[in-house]
Amino acid sequence: MNETQVKKSSPVLDFFKRLKNARETSLILIIVAICIVLSITNPYFAKWANIQTLLGSIAINGILTIGMIIVMISGGLDLSIGAVMCMSMAFSAKAITLGVPPILAILIGLVGAAVCGFVIGQIVTKLNLSHFIVTLCFMGIARGVVYVMTSGISISLVSNLKTMPTLAFIGSGYIGGTVPMSFVIFLALAIAADLYARKSSGMRKVYYTGSNEMAAKHSGIKINRVKVLACVACSVLAGIASVIYMSKYSGVSVSAGEGAEMTALSAAVIGGVSMNGGKGTVAGGLLGLLFIVLIQDAMNLFSVQAFWQDLIRYVIVLLAVILDVLQERARKKKNS
Amino acid sequence: MKKFLALILALVMAFSLIACGQKANQGGESTNTNTLSGTADETYVMNVFVSGVEYWFPVYAGMKDACKQLGVSCSYGGTTEYDAQAQVDSFEADLAKSPKGILISPIVEDAFVEPINRAISQGVAVVTYASDSPDSNRQAYVTSDNAHEGAIAARTICDAMGGTGSVMVLRNPGQDNHNRRCDAFISTVEAEYPNIKVVADVATNQNEQNGYDAVMATYQKYPDLGGVFCPEGVSIVGGAKAAKELGTGIRCLCVDTNDTLLDMLKEGDMFGLICPDQYMQGYLGMLSLFVAAHPEKVNPMNERKALNENIMGISIDNGLTIITKDTADYYYVAKYAQSIGYADVNDMLSAYKAG
Repeated sequence: MNETQVKKSSPVLDFFKRLKNARETSLILIIVAICIVLSITNPYFAKWANIQTLLGSIAINGILTIGMIIVMISGGLDLSIGAVMCMSMAFSAKAITLGVPPILAILIGLVGAAVCGFVIGQIVTKLNLSHFIVTLCFMGIARGVVYVMTSGISISLVSNLKTMPTLAFIGSGYIGGTVPMSFVIFLALAIAADLYARKSSGMRKVYYTGSNEMAAKHSGIKINRVKVLACVACSVLAGIASVIYMSKYSGVSVSAGEGAEMTALSAAVIGGVSMNGGKGTVAGGLLGLLFIVLIQDAMNLFSVQAFWQDLIRYVIVLLAVILDVLQERARKKKNS
Repeated sequence: MKKFLALILALVMAFSLIACGQKANQGGESTNTNTLSGTADETYVMNVFVSGVEYWFPVYAGMKDACKQLGVSCSYGGTTEYDAQAQVDSFEADLAKSPKGILISPIVEDAFVEPINRAISQGVAVVTYASDSPDSNRQAYVTSDNAHEGAIAARTICDAMGGTGSVMVLRNPGQDNHNRRCDAFISTVEAEYPNIKVVADVATNQNEQNGYDAVMATYQKYPDLGGVFCPEGVSIVGGAKAAKELGTGIRCLCVDTNDTLLDMLKEGDMFGLICPDQYMQGYLGMLSLFVAAHPEKVNPMNERKALNENIMGISIDNGLTIITKDTADYYYVAKYAQSIGYADVNDMLSAYKAG
């Protein structure tokens, strides 16, 4: 009897049991299957140069997705992240062109983003409005600020970045000539956010608030504070993504970040983050993003004709979501 | 009594003569153009999509100059969104103000057939520019020939490649004039450069990151990639960034200008920019619109005026330029606005009130 108990509580068995029950497992299996198929069918997929491209292209959307996941876990969503990213980088870029040192310019952009998140959070909590409508408005407000600030003219940093190698390195540099710096920043943020989400008491409050607001309130959690902080975190992450964007593309176009909110939202949903709050993990959402990026990469490698790409991409995304939901149901049924 | 009747008769005759003389004069004015000018209360509107994009600004400068010369008023409007419904709504809002004419660049052809036809039936002249609605009754269309732009781009890139290698296209499938440029690029390469292959046609949807990824991924498969064409100026920024990182001399060319693209061109990161003559697009567009609104000013040798039909039905090519490092400085919008007497771009985009 004792031996059986020891066996049951073995860390290796526990790990596999947790892995089997984890929602991310099915997505990992799908991604692995895609990678195997792509490696066999396309000789360019597994090349390091292509992997570098994948790593570089996941960074900006990845940071935005982390923010989206946090807000979604708190029970909301943020449609303004693309526009806030654009606004934040417009602040920073404008400051740089006016001669402000890069670090201070970046801080200006981050503060601008944080203020945006704070105001969104305050409006959502004080007036009890939905995240959807408030962030939809802020999508227009932030973009509008960019238009007013720039008069619709893109801000070029091509010549400025030549004298700012550190800033240029953030978006375009490679560590050891191999790993994109932007990916390293993203990876650091992703690990920190995932660990924080799994281990910290602060993030547990976010889960409680998202899963049952009233219960969280009765258990002493300051739910308004939690919601505001989630909004601020999301916008600040958009601000961080803006630094990479601005550096990588040498400036700010007024359309920068358009559609980014939909990519982040799709990634989070594919990764099992609940639209109703309280459920999901950072790792899951980012796996969802990896799935989306892999599909796009495959279409590029297979030279799929432009008019087919959206159709193929979204059919595959839909199939993945359906498959994931079916597996989740089967798992719950088995466990119950 | 006889004297009184004679006086009345004399007065009637005199008034009749004066009236006849005036009628003869009016007849002369209506069949000849006299001056090409309107009245201060005539307002003409420019309607665009994504109104914050700087491409439109010199177009409006051209329209505004024409309006000043014609003595009529004008304003700049449309929608800030990249959305057909939003632009149709803005067009209808313009129509509700009863302008004399609307100069519009429709985001998609078909969505504007009914609104344009309705405007014309209400007596509002409509001319399209940059993008068209050919199945509508629009009275004229001013553009740089999109097919010509695509063909010029193909020849510029392929000649520089020495006639061998691979090229790719970064496309924005939702916009008609962009599609025409891409199709012309591809067909020109296929027809005129047998040793150059179009290896990828990617939907990057005006997104820098998508442009970057597309070029990076395509290069893995086709290391002889020598050229990238994009019909707009957003995706190509990412494409050019990828080309720079690869360092293999991939030539990136697009049909657009903005400060970032011009700086990249000057730095050698962009191979070329094709720029439709935006000012002339607006200027010629306004002249066409004015004539459409004032058919009495012209006397074309056809039946249309007599049948009360559109007297023009013409397409005007406003021309294009290939911008080089040496000429880039002429294309910065803010500098341009100041060079033609405006305080800044906002001043250039302000409404003009005649009179």
